Amino acid sequence: MDYLSTKYLRSRKIPSTACSGCGLGQCHKALVKAIDEVGFGINDIIWGTSIGCAGRQTYATWKGDSFAGTHGRVYAIARGLRLALPPEKKLVLSVGDGDAFGIGFNHLLHAVRTNTQMTVMVCDNLGYQSTGGQYGWTTPEGVVTDSSPYGMFEPNWVQSGRDVLAILREAGATFLARHVSMDGAVLVGTLKKALQNNGFSLVHVVYPCTTNFANTALGTRKPVTIFKWIKDRSAPLGKEKEDTLWRTGVYHDASNSRPEFSQLMREKVAEIHGRHEREGTD
Amino acid sequence: MKRYLETGNFAVAQAAIMAGCRAFAGYPITPATEIAESMSRLLPRVGGYYVQAEDETAAMHMAIGAALGGMKAMTATSGPGFILYADPYGWAIGCEIPLVVLNSQRVGPVSGITGAPGQGEFYLSRYVTQGGNFETIVLAPNTAQEAFQLTIEAFYLSERFRTPVTILADQLITDGWEDISIPETEQEKQAMGLRFAERRVNPGPIFYPPTDEIDIPPVVMGKNTGALCSDWTPTEEGYDIETVEAQHKHAYRLIYKIRNHRDIFSRYETLFLDDNPDIIVVAYGTPSRVVKTAVKQARQLGKKIGMIRPITLWPFPDELFQKKAIYLTVELNYDGQMVREVRRTVPCESAVHFLGKCGELPTVAELQETFDRLLEGKPLERRGWETEAW
Repeated sequence: MDYLSTKYLRSRKIPSTACSGCGLGQCHKALVKAIDEVGFGINDIIWGTSIGCAGRQTYATWKGDSFAGTHGRVYAIARGLRLALPPEKKLVLSVGDGDAFGIGFNHLLHAVRTNTQMTVMVCDNLGYQSTGGQYGWTTPEGVVTDSSPYGMFEPNWVQSGRDVLAILREAGATFLARHVSMDGAVLVGTLKKALQNNGFSLVHVVYPCTTNFANTALGTRKPVTIFKWIKDRSAPLGKEKEDTLWRTGVYHDASNSRPEFSQLMREKVAEIHGRHEREGTD
Repeated sequence: MKRYLETGNFAVAQAAIMAGCRAFAGYPITPATEIAESMSRLLPRVGGYYVQAEDETAAMHMAIGAALGGMKAMTATSGPGFILYADPYGWAIGCEIPLVVLNSQRVGPVSGITGAPGQGEFYLSRYVTQGGNFETIVLAPNTAQEAFQLTIEAFYLSERFRTPVTILADQLITDGWEDISIPETEQEKQAMGLRFAERRVNPGPIFYPPTDEIDIPPVVMGKNTGALCSDWTPTEEGYDIETVEAQHKHAYRLIYKIRNHRDIFSRYETLFLDDNPDIIVVAYGTPSRVVKTAVKQARQLGKKIGMIRPITLWPFPDELFQKKAIYLTVELNYDGQMVREVRRTVPCESAVHFLGKCGELPTVAELQETFDRLLEGKPLERRGWETEAW
C-alpha cells in the first residue's frame, strides 16, 4: 500500500482479490501512477471496467466514479456516457483481452472509428483465466490451455500479418502501444501519453497469470517462472529477436490529430441548434 | 394544441423531446426506423444527440451510457433488435438506470414479416433479460395519440422507479397515420394527464438501499459522487459482492419497488363489464380497436359482451379478471401468449378461449362469428392445425 493507493484507490478494494502472484497489480499501478504524473485528480477520471479478471479486480478500486459494464459492451456504454460527460472529465477503461479482442471487438472498432475519448488499457493474461484457463485471441501458438489440450493451433491476434494493433490503426485509432506488465517506468510513460490524447487510446499490456495460464502452459504456479517466460518473449520495438512474441513500445501516436467524437457531436449539435433558433426550421 | 395527421413514430419522437429526452441511440429496423429518423432530425435542434449504433446491443448500451451520464435517453426497435437488447436491458435493470425503450412488434420468429403487425413479445417484454429477480414496467398503446401520451409517461415512470420502461407497440401503431393532438401549454399538458419528472442525482454513498421505496435518485457518473454501478450483485454502496444476503436485498428492491407501487401506473380500459357479461374479450394494442368495435356492435345486437384492454401490460393487472365469464383473448400471434396470463388470473370456473391472428387484424365479422359460437357453446372455428385449446 503506497501513496498512490492512499491518494486514488478505495481501501475496501485494496489489496485486490487477485490471486497471489498475479501480474494485474503491475498494470493497475502503472495506470494509477500515469494518472498521478499527468496530474489528474479523483474527480477528473471516470473509470470503467468489464468482465473477467481485469474487470472484476479493478472495478470500484478508483475512489471516484466507477462502473463495470456487460461483457464486451463497455466501449458502447463509454460512447454514450462520453456524450453526457463534461469534456474535461476523462474516461479510463481497464479491460481484459477476451473483452476487447473477442466479444467486444465490434464495439471497440466503432469506438476507434469515431475516435471517442477513452484510454483503454487491455490487461492481457493470454486467454480466459477467470473461467479456469481457456485459450483466447492472444494465446501464443502451441500453448496448452484447458480448451486447447493439444496446444493452441488457431491463428491469434498478435502474430505477424494480423496484429490487432495494425487493425486498430487502420480503423483510425489515434494512440496505440504494446507492453508487458514488467515494463515499469516505460509502461507508465506510455500510459501518460495515452491519457493525454483527446481521442481513442489503447495500450495492450501482457501480464502473467500464475494460477491458471502458468499452471497449465508451463506446469508451475511459481510466479518467477511465468514472469520470466513473458519477459524473455518480449523486446522493445526494433530490438526484437526471432522468438519475440511481444514487441513493446508505442506503435502509433497521432494524438490530438483528428476530432474527438463527443467534441464533434457537441460542435455539430451547437451549429444545428443555433441555426434552428435563428432561422427556425420545420 | 397542435393537430397533425401523422404516424405513431412521429408522435413518439415528439413525446420523447417533450419529456426531456436529449439522447437517442438507434439502429435501423422496420417498423421503428422512422423514430430514429425523426430523432436524428429533431434532437440536434434542441441541443440533443442522435447516434446510430453498430447493432442493437450497442444502441441500447449507448443509450444507457448517456443516461448514466445524467441525460434522459431512449432507444427504439422491433423484435429482432429487442432480443439483442436483452443484455443491456438487464444491466440497466440491475444498475437501476432510467431509460425508455420502444418495441414496435412485427411478425416473427426472427425476421418473419417485416412490415406487418405482430404481438410476439408479450412475454419477452416481461422476461426481457436473464437471471430473474426483477420486475418490469411495460405500457401498450393502441393509437398514435396514446403512443404519444405513454411515451411521456414512460419517461416519468423510468425516473421515479429508476428502471427502463418498455413501450410495447406494434407495426400499425408506429407506421399508421392518425389524428394526433400535441399539447403546447402547461394547461393542455395537464388536461391530457401528462406527468413529468426531472433527472436527479444520487449523492451517495448509499446508492442501493435495501428498500421497496421509489423516488430514489439514480446513480449518475461525472457528478463527483463516487458513483458505483456494475453488473454484479451490489452492496448498498455499489461494491460487487457474492453473498445471498446482498442478493436478497438487491432482488427485493428490483421486484417490490415496482410491485408495491403499481397504483401509480396501473392503466386499463374496460367496456360493458357492469352487467356480468357472458363473454369478456381481452386484447391490447391495435387488435383491441377492432375488438372494441365488435363488442359495441354485439351490444347493439343484444349480446352481453364486455371487454378488458390492459394498457399497463406488466406487471399484469390480475385484479381486472375477477368476473366469472367466458373469456376470449385476441392477439396477433398464433401461439397464444397473453391468454396464458388470462387463464392464470380468471376465476377457476371460467372458460378461456383464444383467437390468434398474425400480420393482419381480425375482422369485426370474424369476431361476431366467434362470439356467436362461444354463446352457443360450440368449439371455436379452427383452421385445421389449431387443435389445441388455444
